Amino acid sequence: MLLLMSPWLAGFSIFFGYPLVMTGYLSFTHYDLLSPAKWIGWANYSYLLHGDPQVWPAVVNSLEWIGIVVPLQVLFAFGVALMLARARLGLGFFRTVFYLPALAPPVAATLGFVYLLNPATGPINTVLDHLGIQGPLWFQSPGWAKPSLALLSLWGVGNTMIIFLAAILDVPRHLYESAELDGAGPLRRLRWVTLPTVSPVVLFAAVFGVIQGLQYFTQAYVAANIAAGQASQAGDTINNLGYPQDATLFYPVLLYQHGFVNFNMGYASALAMLLLAVAFAVVLVILLNSRRWVHYAGAVR
Amino acid sequence: MRRVTGSLLAAAAVGAALTAAITMGSAHAGARSAKADKLVVWVGWSKRELSVFKSVVSEYDAKHPEVQIKVVGSINDTKITNAIRSGNAPDVVSSFTSANVGVYCGTGAWVDLSPYLKKDHVDLSQFPKTSLYYTQYKGKRCALPLLADSYGLYYNKALFRKAGITKPPKTFTELAADAKKLTQRAKSGKLKVMGFDPFWGFYSGNFADMTNYAPLFAATYLDGKGKAILASRFAWSKLLRWQKKLIDYYGYDKVVRFQAGLGDEFSPSNAFEVGKIAMLMDGEWRVAFIAAEHPKLSYGTAPMPVDDAHPNLYGAGSVNGTIIGIPKGGKHADEAWALVKYLTTNDHALAKFSNGIRNVPSTRTSAKSPELKPDPRFQTFIRIFNNPNSATAPITAAGNANLTLVGRFTVKWQAGKVKNLHDGLKKLDRQIDAQNAQASAGGGPP
Amino acid sequence: MSTASVPVGAAALVRRRPPPAVRRQRFLVAVANHSLLIAAAIMFLAPFAFIVLTALMTNDQALSSHLWPHPFRWRNFSDVFHQAPLLRWTLNTMIYSVVATIGVVVSSVPVAYALARLRWRGRNLAFMVVLIALMLPPQVTVVPLYVMWSKLHPFGFHFIGTLWPLIIPNWLGDAFSIFLLRQFFLTIPEEYLDAARVDGCGELRILTTVVLRMAKPAIAAVALFSFLYTFNDFFLPLLYVGENPSHWVLSIGLSEFRSLRQVQWNLTMAATLLVMAPAIVLFFLAQRAFIEGVTLTGVKG
Repeated sequence: MLLLMSPWLAGFSIFFGYPLVMTGYLSFTHYDLLSPAKWIGWANYSYLLHGDPQVWPAVVNSLEWIGIVVPLQVLFAFGVALMLARARLGLGFFRTVFYLPALAPPVAATLGFVYLLNPATGPINTVLDHLGIQGPLWFQSPGWAKPSLALLSLWGVGNTMIIFLAAILDVPRHLYESAELDGAGPLRRLRWVTLPTVSPVVLFAAVFGVIQGLQYFTQAYVAANIAAGQASQAGDTINNLGYPQDATLFYPVLLYQHGFVNFNMGYASALAMLLLAVAFAVVLVILLNSRRWVHYAGAVR
Repeated sequence: MRRVTGSLLAAAAVGAALTAAITMGSAHAGARSAKADKLVVWVGWSKRELSVFKSVVSEYDAKHPEVQIKVVGSINDTKITNAIRSGNAPDVVSSFTSANVGVYCGTGAWVDLSPYLKKDHVDLSQFPKTSLYYTQYKGKRCALPLLADSYGLYYNKALFRKAGITKPPKTFTELAADAKKLTQRAKSGKLKVMGFDPFWGFYSGNFADMTNYAPLFAATYLDGKGKAILASRFAWSKLLRWQKKLIDYYGYDKVVRFQAGLGDEFSPSNAFEVGKIAMLMDGEWRVAFIAAEHPKLSYGTAPMPVDDAHPNLYGAGSVNGTIIGIPKGGKHADEAWALVKYLTTNDHALAKFSNGIRNVPSTRTSAKSPELKPDPRFQTFIRIFNNPNSATAPITAAGNANLTLVGRFTVKWQAGKVKNLHDGLKKLDRQIDAQNAQASAGGGPP
Repeated sequence: MSTASVPVGAAALVRRRPPPAVRRQRFLVAVANHSLLIAAAIMFLAPFAFIVLTALMTNDQALSSHLWPHPFRWRNFSDVFHQAPLLRWTLNTMIYSVVATIGVVVSSVPVAYALARLRWRGRNLAFMVVLIALMLPPQVTVVPLYVMWSKLHPFGFHFIGTLWPLIIPNWLGDAFSIFLLRQFFLTIPEEYLDAARVDGCGELRILTTVVLRMAKPAIAAVALFSFLYTFNDFFLPLLYVGENPSHWVLSIGLSEFRSLRQVQWNLTMAATLLVMAPAIVLFFLAQRAFIEGVTLTGVKG
């Protein structure tokens, strides 16, 4: 047993347990990797709570993402899966089409969207122009930057959609038939047959959407850099994080900025501790209800 | 399914071979069997400018058989910091962001050059005063200037003629008036040509930075004790109000839309070079870019206009420069120093480099070098550089991070999201002070 | 295993002939459903289409409002290779993905087996810990990990700037894969294992013969996900190899592509397309494995 478990035991202690403890320790220090870490007590936390003007926008951005975009993703994936499940022709074709975007690497997909949604020359606004609509400023405006990212994430919802589709198709046929015999219309069948059977899967997807939402980084980072546009001479990306106007400054982006741009390791650790507290609360909620969901875990990636 | 498993096995074999390959590839750090020491030099330049730098270095390389120099371009400050902190530093580093010198010197990321300067009797007075300022932090000199930059006004002569303007503006009131005359719109109200684009974050490295305007209004960020004083300086609010008024004239959304359709700053589609912007505040290097990319463009250069209340400032401008130094943890510090000394003090090297990329020579003797190719449009920038009222960004412990805070504020301001300018600036002052205190807490610089 | 397959035709099965009115209604619903599907499919494919079209334009055209390339500039695809060391990045990505994937499979299978089929004290606790490690955001431990890798440097190990900090942890068990495999191992009927035990096989022997043979689909899924995850990974490469362009992977290279050499949009889109291609090609080669793998993550194993 020990032999079988040993890789994980080693891996877990080196790459998870130890750093977790160290994060706690470093959060009470000032540490720039060059001179030794220096104990400064609660100073990092007090700067986090009172001094740093970027913390609050970052927290709000992340919460908005989790509160609005994650549910949207689930609803959208479910809607598409429902349509697919009812398809009589070309199920395989449609399934492939809806799944493909999920395969596009996040960086590539983000680059594509920033170009497509360029307010002046992007194809989307060009098409809208032909329809007589003045397109929005998309990634260039603080109001539209998050909706643009949301579109990107809805486009790549394929994995969740496939899982939902399988769950819906797994609903025993006879349940529908007896419901139909009882005179239930399509909507009521959806409400009373489909939903109860697939709800654990949906719930699970939502929960893991939240976990992913807490880590949302790549798309925000790339979109901000590319949309800030106008490649600078040495590709200096430091000041573009969160572009425009902190609209894409999600919490992990802020942590990256302090830890790996400014190399304020102590302060970044304090930020990580706050994230840990929130994430751990979410995890606890999940684990306490794990009996209901554990079979469905796995869509983490 | 079986096919997948099979290909996985094949992949395993390939993977094993590849592992061997990277192991050998990463052994370069240890292998120093070759006779010449390999010096790795990191610079921010790319493309055309990089090849000029390489040709300057190769002259040194040819004369010094004891070293073999490898130049890596397109390096930014994040990469520099990363490499030094992780112990992978090159032998020589240079950065465009002189505002970061506070971080580099303060933390010891770049080594103190004083012992070397003393040993080789290098006379610091050969460097201009401003350049000396932005290459040290609190007396600790960890960098030397490698050519310098100054900002002035580029104007498109053809568009000027068309608009009936005869000479470049000298005050900000004139600048705004000329900008309006030069602006062309489509029937839909869409901007076709902008007279002058004052948007924070447009070009100049795309960072919402007011620093380049500061000397034109005699505005400063910090007082003598290093406390932020943006709110107590009338100059800043004057500049911000002027800027917002011009943005509002164009329409904020229209400007954003217009800019989104422009080419990249450092590409042949640069908006000024293709005549989509009639007046541009930019550094002296643009002269060389235009010569290489649009030699037929009819343009002129002049100092930037100044605040109407301070006409005596005319001729001044924002100044900074490329800084070069030796990172902590480099393996050939002595050889690196010899190269740094050559690049920063040798008249021929500086003149050749200056001719190639059209940056301001950064020593007194090289500025008078007969090798320099005269160009009246470039001379403007040398004069700006030498103007006593020209100024550079303050050097602080937080470095560029300070300017990030300022930038966050100014972009909110131009978007119309700041209700009360004075209160906003006061809050900004407090944030900058808190940030500097945080950055210098504990082990960092005092 | 049987629950994991998608009963494609099930929805179309109709046993009794319903009355004509119902049939007409059903027909209309199906038409509406398919129209919606087609509309959605167009929206899902449009970004791909625009990216392809832009990748074939001249740069002046990419900055204009024309949607159709004129002329078609196929050279963009070869130009990309002159602008950036795309092959080098691809090679690095392959090293990372392939070596990490092998490590994940090799190290996670025994752990999952021990968690699923062996009885020992602390098993539930260990499983709980795996779940927590799986769900906490990587940002929580990233600061001390970076510090750890960088501090090995005085001992002659240059880890930062190489792919090793990305690869090594994968050889010591990956929480997601352990979880997925454990769920699958639970479904293997006990009789098979008992039969092997009666034959005198040790647990290791059982694992390498009986279990591995039966768990092929799950292992394929784990390998597939691990490959895609590492192929798409951006955050960790940004931290560890961001400073060293000769070890850049595709995701980093692509994100820096524009700023690096002031590359134009048409070429950027061509590069984007090239980066998207491998995953999509892989999908069409192993479509069934993909869909079953994704389904496996969502449906009770």
